[in-house]
This record gives sequence, structure tokens and C-alpha cells, in this order.
Amino acid sequence: MIQLQNVTRIFPNGVRALDNVSLTIDPGDFVFLVGPSGAGKSTFLRMLFREDLPTEGKVFVDGKEISSMPESRVPYLRRNLGIVLQDFQLLKTRTVAENVAFGLRVIGASSSIISSRVQEALEQVGLSHKRRMFPTELSGGEQQRVCIARAIVNNPLILITDEPTGNLDPIISQEIMQLFLEINSRGTTVIMATHNHNLVNKLRKRVVALVDGRIIKDEAGGTYAYE
Amino acid sequence: MSMANLSFFFSEAAVNLRRSGITAMVTLFTIAISLVLMGAFLLATMNLESFLQQMQAEALVTAYLKPQVGLSDAKALRLRLTSLEEIENIELITPEQAAAELFSSSDDQQLLQIGITPDSNPLPATLRIKVKPGMRLTPLLERLKTEDEIDNISYGEDLFRQFQGISDLLWTASLVIVIFLGLASLFIVYNTVRLTFFMRREEIVIMKLVGATNWFVRGPFIVEGLIQGITGALISILFLFASYRFILAKLALFTPFFVTDIGLDQFFKLAVKLFMMGTILGISGSLLSLRDISRYSKSVPEGV
Ligand SMILES: Nc1ncnc2c1ncn2[C@@H]1O[C@H](COP(=O)(O)OP(=O)(O)OP(=O)(O)O)[C@@H](O)[C@H]1O
Ligand SMILES: [Mg+2]
Repeated sequence: MIQLQNVTRIFPNGVRALDNVSLTIDPGDFVFLVGPSGAGKSTFLRMLFREDLPTEGKVFVDGKEISSMPESRVPYLRRNLGIVLQDFQLLKTRTVAENVAFGLRVIGASSSIISSRVQEALEQVGLSHKRRMFPTELSGGEQQRVCIARAIVNNPLILITDEPTGNLDPIISQEIMQLFLEINSRGTTVIMATHNHNLVNKLRKRVVALVDGRIIKDEAGGTYAYE
Repeated sequence: MSMANLSFFFSEAAVNLRRSGITAMVTLFTIAISLVLMGAFLLATMNLESFLQQMQAEALVTAYLKPQVGLSDAKALRLRLTSLEEIENIELITPEQAAAELFSSSDDQQLLQIGITPDSNPLPATLRIKVKPGMRLTPLLERLKTEDEIDNISYGEDLFRQFQGISDLLWTASLVIVIFLGLASLFIVYNTVRLTFFMRREEIVIMKLVGATNWFVRGPFIVEGLIQGITGALISILFLFASYRFILAKLALFTPFFVTDIGLDQFFKLAVKLFMMGTILGISGSLLSLRDISRYSKSVPEGV
């Protein structure tokens, strides 16, 4: 499903954010990406949706080499991905339902399809009763759930998420984690960068640890620790 | 491009126009004002041109026939030409009549000096052609030149050339003005669209992350430009029409240059031109400011 071959990313300022990273993730996997701040987790994830390009090496997603794909194909790649980032916000001038609908509008879906799929996605995150509200009327955890609804509304093959529980309290983090597990159980590959040891240690999924841009640990049923 | 996309573009454009009130108005009025100025120049040019044409047409065209052309041939030619639509009437002047005219007006001695006597008359038969008002002269002259019997034609060339020169100059001047105004307003439209583009960056980043193509992101902006262009053009057309009809028409009573017979059809042609220019301005302003969209639509990389 996802494969990185000797991926290195050196930024113009000389920072080596990824250093010869090779990794394979199978369909339906659930992978935690851990590591200290500045280890290269976000850079790694950005490679997967072609927000960034490797300096060296190749990235494959769903059998296609996306690191050499022309810019014009990138939107079609992203339609198969669900992306939840910490700073990938909602539009404040639009209702919850409109925000979720965005992922379907861009592919030109008809309005009847849009309204039924939006309803479905909002039900999954437990927010269909707040569909007509604006993001500013929601709590942080609710806003994050709307982001997740937006990411899953087009049934993505892969869900890519970067610190989705970053500034949420433990109980809400649990709830959101539960959502990802449900999504994963329906066959979507989930890859998630996080600093939340409790969640990682409790769930015992595959854990990939990055330090200074290098993979120092890749363990099935692993724990948060990286040393 | 599906219907769903189109309707999305239009509803987005409507929402955005409402939200970016003042900048949208700036674009709209920039287009309207520059089109009014362009239209005013074009109208003035059309007006002068039609004035010039009227002057031209009042000139008589004189066709001198070849010396060997007999009177019956000359009469036949006259008949043939009278049927042309440009011609009001033709008077045939025989050499005798021409000489008689000369003799009645000139000093006999002078005429004798240049070789005209009642017995040997070197004057050719001539046709005095009166052109119908409003007809263009050049095609008629071309047509007359194809007649074998005609030796040469005189039609007040100097005046005609002068008019032609003025009219060419006018068109060149108004072309320069139209281009200049077009570029100036394109620049303003470009900058306002650029501004709204940066104001909506967050939204564009989101659209790109959920898989929108660059053209899809541009769609609402282009529709916005189109709406502004069309509205600006309609405002300018209404404004020009009203001013022309109600103000200049009054002025025309006092100034000889303003011939008010620029008909509705002429005005309609002008309106079509302005409409197209408004549309092109609106769309190209948007396209120009969105050409490097990829560069500005990356999600902001998190620093550490
Ligand atoms: N656009 C950029 N230009 C230059 N250097 C960058 C850029 N983005 C990231 N870096 C550097 O690359 C390294 C890895 O950054 P990255 O954001 O991937 O870390 P991270 O593991 O996600 O950290 P955190 O846990 O704090 O989010 C850091 O040293 C960072 O300073
Ligand atoms: Mg990060």
C-alpha cells in the first residue's frame, strides 16, 4: 500500500529531515509514527500526500510512484487519501456539513450523493446533530472530529494523520482514537504521527520510531519507547 | 466539467463576492469606468467618421471619357451606371456642352490660346456623377475604373485623402487609448484578484489537500471575474447609451461635428465590443493572478 525506498529529504538550509528511510506498510495496517520533536515525522507524512518531495529515493502509494508523478496527477492521488493534520483547519465561514462536503465537492459529486455521504460521515464521528453549526460554536475535540469526518467522507484507502490529539484532553483523545480504530477496522490503512505514549502503549499496534530522520525501531505490537 | 462543478463555482463565486464586498466593487467599477472611457472614445471616433463620410459623399465625381468614345457609347455607359446603387444621378456633358460652358464663362482669347475653338474641340465627353448620401466612395471609384470608356476620374482627391488621413489617425488614436485603458484596468483587476486570492489562501490549501485540481480552485475566481466583467460592461453600456441619447444628442444641435445618426445598430455593435472587452478583462485578470497557484497553495510546513 505504502512503500518508501531509501528516502532522504535535505532541506535547502541543510537540515536532513529524513535520512535513507525505507519502509513498507501493508493494506489495512495501523501504524504509529513516534519520535522526538524534529525527528522528521511530519516530513515523512508529507511525502505520502506529495506535499513534499524526497531529495533522493522513491515513494510508492497504492502501487504508483508518487515521487515522480506529474503535478497534475497529485489531486487524483489525494482523492484516495484522508488527511487530518493538527493545523489543517476548518473554514470558519462554513457550517460543519459544508466543511465535510468539501472533499466531495472537489470531485464534482452530485448534491444528493454529497448530502447522504456527509450525513454518514458525521454520524460516524457522532456529530450529525451539529451539522448546521459553525466551527467556532464547537469545542476543540468536536472540531477535530469534523476534520476526521472530512477526511473519511470519500472512503479513503489511507488515512494520514499528524498529531490529531495534539491539544485535546485524554478522554477526548481516547474517543478520537476509537474513531481511528473503527475506520481501520473497515479496511482503511491508518498512519498516525503522535507524541501520546499512553495511547501507543495501550493499543499495541505497529510502532515506527524516527530519530534524526532515521528509523531506529519498527515493531509490531510495540510500545512508545525509543532509545 | 460537470454540472455539479459549475453550480459549485457559481455559488462559491456568489458567496465570495458578497464576502469580499469592497474589493469586488473595486474590480467591478474599474472595469466599468475603463469601458466607459473606451466606449466614449470609440463613439467619438464613429461620430467623426460618419461626419467625414457625409462630407465625402457630397463631392461630385467627374468621369472623363476617352476621346474616341462616341456620343451613343457615352449614353449607353450613362444608362448602365445609373443602375448602380451608390449613384443618385448622372449628367452627361458632351464636348460641345463643355466647350459652351467654358466659353460662356471664360475669356475667348485665353481659350483660343490653349487650343479650343468651336471647330476643333479637344474636350472629352464627361459624366458628372452625384453620389447618394451616406454611400462609401472608394468601392464606387473602383467600379468606375473598370469601365473601358472612362479615361480618368476626378473626385476632389485632396479633400478625400485628408479625410481618410484624419479618419485613420482617429482609429489609431482610439486603438492606442483602448489598449492603454485595457492594460491599466487589467493591472487593477489583477491586483484585486491577487488580494482576494491571498485572503482565501487557507481555503485554497484545504481544497488542494482534499484533492482539488488547480482548475477547480480557479473556477470560482474565474466565475467571479466573469460576473464582474459582465456587470461592469452592462453598467458602462447603459451609462454610455443614456449619455449619448440624452446629453450628446442635445449638444449635437449646436455642434456640426456631432451627427446624431449613429444608429441603434452602430450602437449595438459598440455594446457588443464593450461586452466582450469586459468579459475578457474580468476573466484574464483572474487567470493572470492565479497562474502560479501551486506555489502558494502548500499547507504551511510546521516549524520546530
Ligand atoms: N520547510 C522546512 N525548511 C527547513 N527545515 C525544515 C522544514 N520543515 C521541517 N524542517 C526541519 O526538518 C526537521 C524535521 O521536521 P518535522 O516537522 O518533520 O519534525 P517532527 O518529527 O514532525 O517534529 P514534531 O514532533 O515537533 O512535529 C526539523 O529539524 C525541522 O526543523
Ligand atoms: Mg510534526
